[in-house]
Amino acid sequence: MFRWTWKSLFNQRGTLIGSALGIACTFILVIFFDAVWRGESIQVVSYPNHMKPDVWVMQSGVGNMHMAMSYVWDWKADKIAEIPGVRKVTPILYMNSVVKTGGHEMFAFIVGLTPNEKRAGPWKLTAGRHIKNSLETVIPDVLSRITNVSIGDKLRITDKSFTIVGLSAETYSSANSVLFVPFSDLEDILSSAGTYSYLLVDAEEGVDPKRLAERIRNNVEKVNALTHEEFIKNDLSMAKQMGVEIIIMMTVISSALAALIVGFTSYSLVIRRRRELAIIKALGMGSVNILISVMIQSAILVLIGFIITVLFSFFVIPYIPLLLPQLTLSISMNAILQLGIIALIVSILGALIPAWLVSRLDPATAFHV
Amino acid sequence: MTGPVVSAKNLTRSFGSGHTVVMAVDNVTLDIMPAEIVLIMGPSGSGKTTLLSMLGGLLRPSQGTIEISGTNITALKESALPEIRALKIGFIFQTFNLLDALTVEENILFPAQLHPGDKHQAKRRASKLIKQLGLENRRTALPQTLSGGEKQRVAIARALINEPKLILADEPTGNLDTQTGQEVMMILQTLAREHGYSVIIVTHDPRVEDIADRILWLEDGKLTDRKEENHKWVKDPVCGMHIDEWTAKIKIDYNNTTFSFCSNTCLKRFDDNPAKYTKAMSTNP
Repeated sequence: MFRWTWKSLFNQRGTLIGSALGIACTFILVIFFDAVWRGESIQVVSYPNHMKPDVWVMQSGVGNMHMAMSYVWDWKADKIAEIPGVRKVTPILYMNSVVKTGGHEMFAFIVGLTPNEKRAGPWKLTAGRHIKNSLETVIPDVLSRITNVSIGDKLRITDKSFTIVGLSAETYSSANSVLFVPFSDLEDILSSAGTYSYLLVDAEEGVDPKRLAERIRNNVEKVNALTHEEFIKNDLSMAKQMGVEIIIMMTVISSALAALIVGFTSYSLVIRRRRELAIIKALGMGSVNILISVMIQSAILVLIGFIITVLFSFFVIPYIPLLLPQLTLSISMNAILQLGIIALIVSILGALIPAWLVSRLDPATAFHV
Repeated sequence: MTGPVVSAKNLTRSFGSGHTVVMAVDNVTLDIMPAEIVLIMGPSGSGKTTLLSMLGGLLRPSQGTIEISGTNITALKESALPEIRALKIGFIFQTFNLLDALTVEENILFPAQLHPGDKHQAKRRASKLIKQLGLENRRTALPQTLSGGEKQRVAIARALINEPKLILADEPTGNLDTQTGQEVMMILQTLAREHGYSVIIVTHDPRVEDIADRILWLEDGKLTDRKEENHKWVKDPVCGMHIDEWTAKIKIDYNNTTFSFCSNTCLKRFDDNPAKYTKAMSTNP
């Protein structure tokens, strides 16, 4: 029985390949959207993730950076610096704003850095240098490619014009890119003299960040202090919330599409081979075995589609950003495993209608000419 | 003495209901003995295939019982019938009905693999049948590369693989040329005479009558022993084709004489100018 199941499926190679590719396309869509979403989510927290202080300090009631605003008085930074266990406090100013350059407008996270401060600045320059003087900026290298601007070109933030002096890697995201400007310029834009947005606190060796954060919360009023892990978790969760519904919707649509393709393929396989199925029924194969056979064929089809998807995910998707640098893609094993479960459900759903057809098949039609 | 291989009693099968009910098979009773070759003949639509389907456990009768080798298959559950079909009945179809994806050997072995049994023994039987039916060189060939005669020999081997007592053949020579049809008839005859198989053949081919022990005539769902006097060959007055007046469906009475036609086209031509054809008949009967 299994030999016939296998051979009769592979006997129609054209249909098999076409259907498997159709299923793979819908599965690849699921994986691709997931990779975009995950990639973007990671990229959204790229800045805090690379800074990696032991403790983040911000205004009380604020717990993350993405789409947030925070003001901390500058004297609180001095107070925190005196708390036992604190090695270094690095203040930054931060705002979300639309920036204009090369005829484009885009949303960006702007980080204001104190003079000569590299602790909170760009961690990987691909061209140019760090900011030194007023009205200078370092922008993501991907952004410079998209907007066709380079070192020496101008970039506008509110009413101020900045000169691009450096290009940084790993700071671009389609949702928000990270730009660096001098602290004083951003302070001027925000009219926030005497305040910082966030404080990056590095602990002395051997100090537990959790305890240090607690100590800061207890000793300095109206501030929130979180370990780096807690802060990133909050930020990531905020970033994911923004796209999760779209991704779920896309996954459901793609899965339904895959189920339809499997169903249609199995249905057409059964319809085209109705006579052959009637013959095997007449020869003595029971309906249950024929059902199993149809389901196995459906499962093989989905499995081939799934294998194509996995190969595509590992050998093609990672290279897409080389052509489209604005995309950050992250393939997750979890997504692949979830897709495996979806594929299993799809193969069962896709075989339901054909199975019903098989159960109604009249073996006496084998006698019809 | 051994009992009948097939024993059907008061077999009836109707389709539809109320005023539209059609009796495809009407109160048929028959016994088929071991090693007997029985022909079921009759006009198109007389219920031959319906009767064969019921005898093969493919269709349930509306009334009556069928026993195959002592097992009342009408009393069995639907789920038990596939095993009966696989193990107790061999099917031979007009259009061969081989499975395209499988080789000759795999096609022959197919019914043997559907239900528990000694697979090695089945393989040995398949090899023996392949040799007996002259298919040694075609063992690994796919059906589309076979001639009509080879396909039918594969179908016969497949019908015999589980050594059933009963072979049901639906127009086994229908798609074959004269010589190949003759070969198939000889194989069926050998199966009955030398190996004791009971063979029921539904056919329109008068050549098959030569190997039959019994010819049953089915018309309007009723079965009768066919009498030779019912077999009357006449000429179609239009095209001159020889047709059996007893079975001819298209007839017309003209000048107190009954004329039989092979088709409606001939009947229409006759209607347009009956004198032309009756005159021709009288000068060249």
